This record gives sequence, structure tokens and C-alpha cells, in this order.
Amino acid sequence: MNIVGQEKAKSTFDAIVVGSGISGGWAAKELCEKGLKVLMLERGRDIKHIEGYDTAMKDPWEFPHRGRVDNVSREEYWASMRTGYTANEPTRYLFENDKENPYLEKRPFDWIRGYHLGGRSLMWGRQSYRLGDLDFTANAEDGHGVDWPIRYADIAPWYDYVERFAGISGQAEGWGQLPDGQFLKPMDMTVVEKHVKDSMMKTFGRGMTIGRTAILTAPTKIQTDLGRGQCQSRNLCSRGCPFGGYFSTQSATLPAAVKTKKLTLITDKIVYNVIFDEKKNKAIGVRVIDQNTMEQKEYYAKIIFLNASSINSAWLLLNSTSARFPNGLGNDSDQVGRNIMDHHLGAGASGEFEGWEDQYVYGRRANGIYVPRFANWGKDKRKDFVRGFGYQGGGSRDSWGRGNGLKGFGADFKEQLTEPGKWSINLGGFGETLPDPNNRMRLSDKKDKWGLPIVEFDAAWGPNALQMRKAMISDAAEMLEAAGAKNIRTRDEFFKNPGIGIHEMGTARMGRDPKTSVLNQWNQIWACPNVFMTDGAFMASSSCVNPSLTYMAMTARAADYAVKELKKRNL
Amino acid sequence: MERRTAIKSVALLLGGALSGPTLSAMAIRNGELQPDWVPGALNFTADQQALLAEIAETIIPTTSTPGAKAAGVGPFIELMIKDCYLPAQQQHFMKGLGDIDAESMKNHGKNYVSLSNEQRIAVMTTFEQKAADERKQAAANVVKADVDAETGNVKEVKAKASDPLVPFFSLAKELTLLGYFSSEIGATKALRYVAVPGRFEGSVPYKKGDKAWAT
Repeated sequence: MNIVGQEKAKSTFDAIVVGSGISGGWAAKELCEKGLKVLMLERGRDIKHIEGYDTAMKDPWEFPHRGRVDNVSREEYWASMRTGYTANEPTRYLFENDKENPYLEKRPFDWIRGYHLGGRSLMWGRQSYRLGDLDFTANAEDGHGVDWPIRYADIAPWYDYVERFAGISGQAEGWGQLPDGQFLKPMDMTVVEKHVKDSMMKTFGRGMTIGRTAILTAPTKIQTDLGRGQCQSRNLCSRGCPFGGYFSTQSATLPAAVKTKKLTLITDKIVYNVIFDEKKNKAIGVRVIDQNTMEQKEYYAKIIFLNASSINSAWLLLNSTSARFPNGLGNDSDQVGRNIMDHHLGAGASGEFEGWEDQYVYGRRANGIYVPRFANWGKDKRKDFVRGFGYQGGGSRDSWGRGNGLKGFGADFKEQLTEPGKWSINLGGFGETLPDPNNRMRLSDKKDKWGLPIVEFDAAWGPNALQMRKAMISDAAEMLEAAGAKNIRTRDEFFKNPGIGIHEMGTARMGRDPKTSVLNQWNQIWACPNVFMTDGAFMASSSCVNPSLTYMAMTARAADYAVKELKKRNL
Repeated sequence: MERRTAIKSVALLLGGALSGPTLSAMAIRNGELQPDWVPGALNFTADQQALLAEIAETIIPTTSTPGAKAAGVGPFIELMIKDCYLPAQQQHFMKGLGDIDAESMKNHGKNYVSLSNEQRIAVMTTFEQKAADERKQAAANVVKADVDAETGNVKEVKAKASDPLVPFFSLAKELTLLGYFSSEIGATKALRYVAVPGRFEGSVPYKKGDKAWAT
């Protein structure tokens, strides 16, 4: 073998996984465990489990600005500033410097990123819900978007599979619209949450459950074998957990993949092109640029999994043009980059309660309550909008922070704030958005510091979402009122942009017809079937539940299919 | 109406839920303000530092537990004003410091730091009322958001509300509470702090006088 041949052999794998976040970690683990030699490429820096979590063990007073954002950071993290929390002092190191990684907005979009090993699996909200049958049939029923090529039954066993590994705590409820899962023991509710739960069921026949979250309340051997431990109720998850209490690439899928000795992990490599071979009529590898040295390189594999996140995976397709795909790899349908969805939120209500003054909590629960969708479910038909919303929220006793809203200062004022305040509860809606081809991202003609095209967004909430928000607010207020809440306040952050839910998805939707979709039922690009996309890009509709668990299940399902097809020599 | 004005009007409806930094950030983003902030450009004199420490102590005094001075709240506020606020807000705050001494001289013939506890409380009460008046005025100046029902876009209007600055007393109080209750003294002496609780219980007995959790 000549030197060129040796070099090429060193850069050749069975599978390449682009991205190391929630879905990339799963792709690497599954493909490795099925015996493939896997290369996982991450565009950002390495972050080691535990030792890399810079702020994880800091006390509040160790932050000079006590968590707040200084002027320099405010400029650097201009997109993250819009969430109101991601740029804060304790978590900023895990979010992207937007000044160094700019994007453009024809219409505004909040793009919140984490370019490092583990991606947003390190900072995600951990809420883990299954889509239900109503979600997979929604597009076919009301005509928005294209029909999902799968139904709940196709994904249900894969939900079981990923839940057992990831460790999801929650309470089985037997609800039709929100399937139960394989749950670790549920977290406790507070007295005010239990009260509102009972009242909602009695008055409206609507359920409430404790949040279903990827946190180990009672780890099993699957998790302890990976070095993961039980949640310590610090509620500092998004700094990185030194106990491995929540699911992340670092805590779970990466050590599992490493155990197989089949994984090669390379960080700091930005994949900017998927190499399409016209003769073989398939993808043969990827081109990368090193984020620090600018060195360019190619890697080769039989199959490629794109898990760079919805926007960046679509960006990669659009940037991978060839004679066969002049509009970007797999973009015969012109749907790549379109149909961006998110969840619209920041609409709901909160209220205070008198009583339970002899009750308090111990510990900090990194979780809240969940109210499953009731609008447009069963007999609850709404005239003003299609689809629905769930609520997330929680009830606790007010802290010293209430002092800002109270008149006064001085000794009595101080003593008052050293005791807990009234019980209060808040319900915040998470609403489904509809797939709309006019909500999109493109490659602009501007280039970033690596000479790569910068993303331009062009998206907005649709009229359906804006109608739905009215119900999200009034239904919450009505339920709190019925439960006896006082001082009910509604809120409507209508001015926040798409992306604010950090659930961007749908940029390479799956479907039944290559003319109107990018991916088939196995997450394969229709015209380039050895490329699989299993991050949020594949979502044909958004449901109203948090999407990451679905990305996990669909990744495991696609990896299983990919390896079977490889063995049959179909790829 | 422009987006930023709409956000501010909502913030005011919510009782000023958006912090100064958030509003300033939006101003930068919208190109209305240049972040002409220069590290170290703002200087606090020794007198101003002493005054600030006493103002914080008036808001959170030493009682059965140490007060704001012991917790280093004065230097904390100085750092926050320098690092986290834009020049207009910085100047508004510095002017407030001067106003406190002017009011102290006018009514009591002495600087604030030389006043008795009762005199300090009287001065701060005046500024608490001034802050309430300033907020009321700012709320009146902000035009109510006008949202296009079809598109959900906030309609542009020509008239532009003036940027409401956080009144001196409100900002001093907000930063005193933050600086004190997140300090080691505030969190562990005035409140209860457990770094690693180990478990969560949604319902435990509470009796009047038990401290609140710091976090």
C-alpha cells in the first residue's frame, strides 16, 4: 500500500457521526455497540466529564457578579442574552459566543448553541416526554405539513429502549395523549402543586403530573456501571453534573461508546461538506476544517449520521453542493432549511395561595410539574386554533427575591425576608407550532472566520400560535382561579422570537414522498440513503412536548436499521 | 411600535421584571446605544464608597445576624455598577449618590454617613418615595404595545418612549438584596444554605422563625 493509501486507510471508518450532542452521542453508542468502527466529529472543544465542569461546585458568592451578565459578555453573547438565563455567569461557559459565531436575521430568530463536546446535552432542560399517536397523525388530519411516515407504534419500543438507558424519572398516568414510559421513581410534588393538581382534575377533568426528566432518582445497574450516580438535588444541572445525575453525552452515551473500543473521537473539527461520489451515487465521507489551525482534512466511511443540530445539519446539506445536487445534498424537494419549528412559550399565569404556612421543602428539585395537552384532545375542541399546548411550571414558597416587589427596607424588612414567603405556583405554556415552508434558514453570502457561509434566518410565529397563546394564558388563569389562587398574574412574552424554546427542528423533514420531504421513514436522505439525519431536522411536526427523547429514540431506531442494511450490503 | 418599546411596556406591566442589563442589552442589539463602556472609566471616590456601604447597611442592617456592610455589599454594588450597567444608568446612579448627601445636608446639616440611624431612615424613605414617583412617570411615558392580530408583529409607531432608567433607590435596594443574600454571610447566617442537599422532599414541617433556604 502506498503512503496515500495508508493515509486514506487511517481516515476511513465504518461510520462517521457529525456532532456529539444528544443524538450524536446516541448514534455513536449504538453504532459502536453493533460493532462498527465509528468516528465522531465535534466542531467545538473537548469538555471532560466532571473535571471539565468549571462552575459545577461553586457557591453563589464565588461568582463576582452573582450570576448576572457583565457588559462585555452581554455584547459577546448577544443571542444568548435573549433567553434571560443562558448567558448568566454560572452557565455562560457552555453557551456560544455569538460575536465569534454570528448569524443573520431577515426576521429575528434566537439561535442558542453549545459548540463543544456533548453539545447541548450538557445544558438541556432534561424534560423527557413521548410523542403520542395524536402527534404522528396531526399533519395528515389537519393538512399542515406532510404526513409522518411513521406512527407511535413504530417508535414505542425505541422509547422503551432509550428510556431504560438514559434513566427517566416520572409517574405513569395512563393518559391517551401522553404515553407513559419506563420510569425511575417520580420526584415529589409540593403541597401547592398537589392542591392545584386535585383542583384541576375535580373542576376541569384535566391532569397534572410531576415532570418527566432525564435525572436519576434511583439509578439502575445500567447507569451505575457507567459511573453515574443519584441526583443530589442541587438544581445546578446546566453547569454540568459532577455526579452524572442527568443524562448527557459525557455522563452516558460517550462512556458506553468508549467501552466498545470502537470509537474514535476528534474534537475541534468543523464538518463543512459531505462528499458525494457521482459514480457510486452515494456519500463517501466528509470534509472538515480545524477550528483552531484551519487545517483541512477528509474522512471516509460507509455511512454518515448527521447530528449537528437541526440548523447546522441543514446548513451542512445546503453547503454540500455537487453536479447531482446543485441546491445542496438531498435537496431535490427544496425543503432543506424550511419548516423550522420550535415551541412558543412564555404565555401563562401565576398565582399566590394563603395557607400551608407550616409546610416547606427540603432540597432543590431540578424539575417541575407537567400538565399534558387538553386543548383539541377528546371533547375539548377549540375553534380558534389547531393542535395544542402543555404547561410546565411549579409551586414553591417565595424566596428573598420577593423583597424587590415589596415596599420597605431596614431591620424588620430584613427579618421578614429571612423567612420563606407565601406559596405560589406558575403555569407556563409550551405550544405546538405548525410546519410552514416560509419559516426557513439559508446560507447567506457572508462568511465566518473559517470562510464558511453564515446562516440567515427568516421565520416567525404563525397566526395559529398567536391564537393558541390566548388560550394558554386564559386557561392557566382560569385553573388557578378555580384552585383559589390570589393575585393571579398573566404573562405573554409575545415579543420573543422563534428559537426561544431552544427546540428548533424540522429543517429536513421526513415524509412519504421524496418530492415533498428530505428523509424517508428510516431517517435516510431519499436520494443519498447512506446519509442519516437523526437530530431535530427530521421532525415533520413539532408536537407540544419537549423533543429530545424523540431524537434519542429515532437515532437508536435509525442506527439499528443502518447496521442491518449494511450487513445486507444495501448501503 | 418598536419591539423594544413593547418589551419595556410589558416589563413595566409585570412590575419591572426585566432588569436594567436586559434593557441595555436590547438597546445595544438594536443599535440604539453603542456600548461605549470602558473598563475602569467610572471611579468611586473613598467618600462615595463609604456612603454606598452605609446606604446598603440602612437597607439591610445588622440585626441578630450581620448586615450588608459585613457582607461586603458596598464593594459589590460598585463592581456591579461599573461592570454591568451602561453609562446612562451609571450616571443616574452616581447622581443618586450625590442626591442622598444633598438631601442629608439640607434636612440634617450633615453628610449621610454622619447621620443617626433614624435620620438615615428618614432620608431613605424620601428616596423610596421618589423612586415610586419615577417609576410611575416612566410607566406613563411608555406607549402600550400595539400588536397586529394577523401577523403577531408588533406595529411600528413613530413616537418613541424615553428609556426609563432604574431609579436610584430601586437599584440600590435590588443590588443590596442580591449582594447580601447571595453572599456567604447572607446565605449561611441570615438564611440556610446546603450546597449538596442529597434529596428532595416536597413537604417538610415549618415553624415560624425557621430560616428560608438561600437557594
